[in-house]
Amino acid sequence: MAAYDVNGTAVEHDEEGYITNLSDWTPELADVIAKAEEIEMDDERWAVVNFLREYYEEYQIAPAVRVLIKAIKKSMGPEVGNNKYMYELFPYGPAKQACKIAGLPKPTGCV
Amino acid sequence: MISTVYAVLFYVATVLLIVGTGMKVLKYARTPILLKIPVSPAPRTKRGVVLRMLREVLFFESLFKSNKWIWIFAYLFHYGMALVLLRHLRYFTDPVWWWVALIQPFGILAGFAMFAGLGGLMARRIFQPRIRYISNPSDYLMLALLMLIVFSGYSMKFLAHTDIIALKAYMLGLMRFQIGDLPTTLPLLVHLASVATLMIIFPISKLMHAPGLFFAPSRTMVDNARDKRFVSKWARNLPPLPEGIPTSEEG
Amino acid sequence: MAPLDKKADDDKFMDNPFVIPPLECGASLDTDTFKAYPEHNEALGFPGELLDNWKEVAIAKMGELAKRNRAFQVYLDTCVKCGACTDKCQYFLGTADPKNMPVARQDLLRSVYRRYYTFAGKYFPWLVGARDLTKEVLDEWYTYYHQCSQCRRCSVACPYGIDTAEISMAAREILDSVGVGQKYCNEIIAKLKKTGNNLGLNPKALAATLEDLEEDLEDETGVAVKIPLDVKGADILLITPSADFFAEPHIDGLLGYAKVFHSAGVSWTLSSYASEAANFGMFIGSYENMREVSWRIRQAAKDLGVKRIIFGECGHAWRVAYSFLNTLAGPFDFLDQNYPIPQHILEFTLDEIESGRLKIDKSRNDEFVMTYHDSCNVARGSAMGDKEGGQFDVPRAVIKAVCNNFHDMERDTIRENTFCCGGGGGLLTDDLMDLRIKGAKPRMTALKQVSDNHGVNKMAAICAICKTQFAKVMPKYGFEMDTIMSVHQLVANAVILDGQESDEAEEPTAEETP
Ligand code: SF4
Ligand code: SF4
Repeated sequence: MAAYDVNGTAVEHDEEGYITNLSDWTPELADVIAKAEEIEMDDERWAVVNFLREYYEEYQIAPAVRVLIKAIKKSMGPEVGNNKYMYELFPYGPAKQACKIAGLPKPTGCV
Repeated sequence: MISTVYAVLFYVATVLLIVGTGMKVLKYARTPILLKIPVSPAPRTKRGVVLRMLREVLFFESLFKSNKWIWIFAYLFHYGMALVLLRHLRYFTDPVWWWVALIQPFGILAGFAMFAGLGGLMARRIFQPRIRYISNPSDYLMLALLMLIVFSGYSMKFLAHTDIIALKAYMLGLMRFQIGDLPTTLPLLVHLASVATLMIIFPISKLMHAPGLFFAPSRTMVDNARDKRFVSKWARNLPPLPEGIPTSEEG
Repeated sequence: MAPLDKKADDDKFMDNPFVIPPLECGASLDTDTFKAYPEHNEALGFPGELLDNWKEVAIAKMGELAKRNRAFQVYLDTCVKCGACTDKCQYFLGTADPKNMPVARQDLLRSVYRRYYTFAGKYFPWLVGARDLTKEVLDEWYTYYHQCSQCRRCSVACPYGIDTAEISMAAREILDSVGVGQKYCNEIIAKLKKTGNNLGLNPKALAATLEDLEEDLEDETGVAVKIPLDVKGADILLITPSADFFAEPHIDGLLGYAKVFHSAGVSWTLSSYASEAANFGMFIGSYENMREVSWRIRQAAKDLGVKRIIFGECGHAWRVAYSFLNTLAGPFDFLDQNYPIPQHILEFTLDEIESGRLKIDKSRNDEFVMTYHDSCNVARGSAMGDKEGGQFDVPRAVIKAVCNNFHDMERDTIRENTFCCGGGGGLLTDDLMDLRIKGAKPRMTALKQVSDNHGVNKMAAICAICKTQFAKVMPKYGFEMDTIMSVHQLVANAVILDGQESDEAEEPTAEETP
């Protein structure tokens, strides 16, 4: 199975780039995944990733896009907390791409 | 000698046709339908289904909607053949039924329609890349065989005249299990042999589409799943699932 | 209102939705979907990995299915290779791969069936195109039976009603039975068996999400609209796709159901045990898995003591619900027999609209010029209302009741001839994105036509898969992702609740008694 290289340690991921062992996640890994996705992490993206991780910690699942946006709106203001901007931050979708960087499992189903 | 060979051929062909097709039809009928799978919009009543099937059989409704060229050729061929077959009843009835006598001239014309339809279908099979792609040797041969039947039939009329009276006597004899004398002109022998071939391969070939049509769940089922519970005989033997929510699970 | 915002280069589209491409053999051969992991397969009762004796098992399974399933048996026999179906599949139109022509897709399996189970194929294989089952054939099955969304468009065209969807389901069942499953479907079914839904949403998270949505509703309307969960003794159990709790524009549809139920004054509830309408058991052709998934709905309905079951907007779920639920999980003698079992939310909403109980302000949707995408499973696998064709008319009646502007797309791309969105039948996975984009081409072309000619700027649908697929694929064709809407999103926009704080110019008339 393929792996990310975080300063010499290998972190396994599945065929779509989601890490297989969720406890492997570190902020450094997030940077590595983001790079693989051709994304540069900045404060706004970190706010999203951090919220996703907190939410996951509590609920064992990623939040609905709407819930995520509402939370980001609260913390970063409406310029960042809207659907369009989320897709600018994560072109492949806040649900899937941001989850990948945050080390969460991929949301499955008709989403 | 030839008379006997052909007699045997026809008895065998008839038995194979009837028994083979009958067995297949029985198999279809006995195979359970698992679920309510009419292709909708589907009729909500049995009567509606009968009408739907009548439209399919009489007008080839679905084909008409989906492909006009194939529809024209198929329609010419099938209805041409139907008339031709009816016309041929005169070789098996004595005295000839009045309406069979009446359609004789139309039957002759219908043969041309049949041939034209077959020709069109063959041309599409050869020249239309999509249909060529899905065709197997048997698909061409089937059309060729049918064309041969029509062609040899006409040959008897227009090329090498055949003693029709003698033929009829032979046929009527066969029906009473008496083997008479078969006129031995080449076109007739070819005609009869190819017809017998068609009868023999009927139950083991795509010709089964004819009875199969009436067993296609997509068209023959009534759309009433909400009103009437449908359970297949296969599903009746499945192990029951537990009523109530198991407590170990969330929820 | 301006037509669709098109940044699209026009050569992404077809000249019209029916242009037949020249055949390109193998064009789609490399489009493969990820295989399931052993744990996914095993959770569904299948072998984890490819069996050593896979060949014997596959051949035996094929015979067993032919014996068990009349559709499979008859369809394998009756095809005359007339070719009427060859140009009907959106995946063929989009990919040009001849193996995506419905009859060619059937033949992948039919050729093997003939070899082992028919006289002609046993003794004259070359004559009837029969072939041995080899590993290459198995791989080919996996590839092309996962490029079929089981939409049944081809079946409508076939003079014998041959339904490629049935063949495709059987093929997947055979593949599963030798240990070759698809990751997308099998992982999801395994998840549903554990958590009650495709997403893996646990009851705590579901409750939190619903609370959040209730807050939104109250912020928007000033009325405390509830989205109840696990309420024992409620009248109505709503079964809706879990995407309605998660994705856009699905959630807007859910808010619409909530408003309609609130307005109607009925008591209703969701279930955390049966928190999924979708039933991917159908996609993999597994009766047993489909039954198990359906059974949860019966269990939940009994447990909660409801009187009615209503389904939310989901295409294949409605096929399973309308056509199969009674078979799989019935009889429902414990429910109120005065209502259809199960009922579609659109049937409920239309009743409310027609009886005048729902207050509607159509002008709130005036910025939209709508069209409607018939979802394949609703169109060709189910019905609504009590008249033939209700599955086409009920949704349109609802849309027209809440919107002033509506135009249908080209006749042969809607109703019983509707194209699949391109993501149905278990293909809604990122690893098939290329296929999904190509499969959507005829629909996108038809949409562009009405957009050019009538200024249509939104398309509504009633299927979770359609909605997700279009939200993802539309941008590739230059449409905004929010061009796709839920039908109940339109309803939600137009409904005026009792006690709702009214819009700017309106009189506060709705304050009276409920
Ligand atoms: S339309 Fe039906 S009979 Fe004709 S080729 Fe297609 S599947 Fe076969
Ligand atoms: S069922 Fe739909 S996707 Fe499958 S072959 Fe037929 S038209 Fe194509």
